[in-house]
Amino acid sequence: MKEYIRELFSGYVRIKVVGSYTELFINRCIEYRIPIWDIRRLDEETILLSLYISDIRRIRPHLKRTRCKVRIHERKGFPFIVQRVISSRGFLAGAIGSILLILLLSNMVWGVSVNGATPEVEHKLRKAAYELGVKKGTFIFRLPTNQEIQQELSESLKEVTWIGVKRNGTSYHFQVVQKQLPEKEPAASPRHIVAKKKAVITKIYVEEGQAKVKENAFVKPGQLLISGFIGKEEKSQLVPASGKVFGRTWYVSTVSIPLKSSFVTHTGETKTNHSLGIVGFYLPIWGLKAPEFENYEVNERETNFRFLKWQLPISLMSKKMLETKEVERTYTNKEAVDAARNVAREDIKDKTAEDAEIKTEKILHEKVENGKVNVKIHFEVIEEIGKNIPIVQGD
Amino acid sequence: MAKWRHGLKGWLTSRLKLPADAVMDLPRITMVGQLHIYIENHQGVLKFSNEEVRLLLKQGQLLIKGKDFMLKTILPEEILLEGKIEHVSYLERPEDM
Repeated sequence: MKEYIRELFSGYVRIKVVGSYTELFINRCIEYRIPIWDIRRLDEETILLSLYISDIRRIRPHLKRTRCKVRIHERKGFPFIVQRVISSRGFLAGAIGSILLILLLSNMVWGVSVNGATPEVEHKLRKAAYELGVKKGTFIFRLPTNQEIQQELSESLKEVTWIGVKRNGTSYHFQVVQKQLPEKEPAASPRHIVAKKKAVITKIYVEEGQAKVKENAFVKPGQLLISGFIGKEEKSQLVPASGKVFGRTWYVSTVSIPLKSSFVTHTGETKTNHSLGIVGFYLPIWGLKAPEFENYEVNERETNFRFLKWQLPISLMSKKMLETKEVERTYTNKEAVDAARNVAREDIKDKTAEDAEIKTEKILHEKVENGKVNVKIHFEVIEEIGKNIPIVQGD
Repeated sequence: MAKWRHGLKGWLTSRLKLPADAVMDLPRITMVGQLHIYIENHQGVLKFSNEEVRLLLKQGQLLIKGKDFMLKTILPEEILLEGKIEHVSYLERPEDM
């Protein structure tokens, strides 16, 4: 067994020795300690034997002395295999090249499909995805994660409620749920417009119907503003009332702002390290050094390489470190009140319709307590207060 | 002189129980069925063919006959022959040579 391994590794040749005194040749080889083995007689003058490559030169003088001639019959062992492989390196290069090519192509995006979108939205989605890099021929490991893509796309497309992003091997699938845009109001049925909250009317525009209140009138919720009945009592007619009624309304907002607060922000300094993961071991390939900053947040992203349909146990891991800084914020009382006002304003904007307008704001109450400023602010807002209610007939 | 030495060697082997092959340069032959024959203490190959192998010994020759012979290993003083061994015989050297 040991011999066999040596034969394979150092390489040997099968040679034909032709001559009248082949036995003499064998004896001389033995005498000069040249290992030969597997000797076979082919005919009267020819024998076949094995010899290490390194000994080929050493048999020369013995061949001459015994008047034998030699011809190489076969070459065996690794040195010859290597030689053969090298000599056919074109083929080898081709084989390696094609594997690399498949590897490369397996990690590219080859298809993008969109489901559940109208052609118009689909076009927009494809365009947005293209800008993100989701297009034919991009390397998958350079793309953001599905979640990030989903977030990006959902933000950039207003018409879409939800986008599901799924990657299946080399193709991306987008599942779209479109917003149901409100249909044009159908020819309205007869209705009234009533107040939806307590207010003082500031302006009233009537398109159709009959105004029932005047400017500066105080109205309670549910009070009729524009009536759907027009004409005199006997010839009264039902119409869908329409128009706009603006009123002054009041809100009180209570805000509490701590004077001291600490929070963590990013400084904008980042550092990205890439490493190659092979079955759980990570080999850093780019960015070996630890970041110079002390406090940081780490975003990790790992993408597996693929070969055809198989996921390889090799992955590219990129670790992005974002420097963070703890910031302490201290407000003076006045600043705290200003901040409270801003918060309160935002709060009011959330509560009212978009076209509402803050008319006045007044601090009712302001108190510092336990390191906090509690502020109560009164807002006067002008907003639309009308609400449609259908007229139920047959009453 | 040679005869006397020969006699001494014979006495050594028989009295002191030294192995005869070592003391007297005799061939030690091991056979595994008809498949292998292993000969130690040979002095060289005189003839090698598919059917016949003749080895030189200290005294005389060893003749092996059979079929499909192959010299598996050949080292100074050691030979492993493979094939179908049918016949092994000694050829005596003429006394006065």
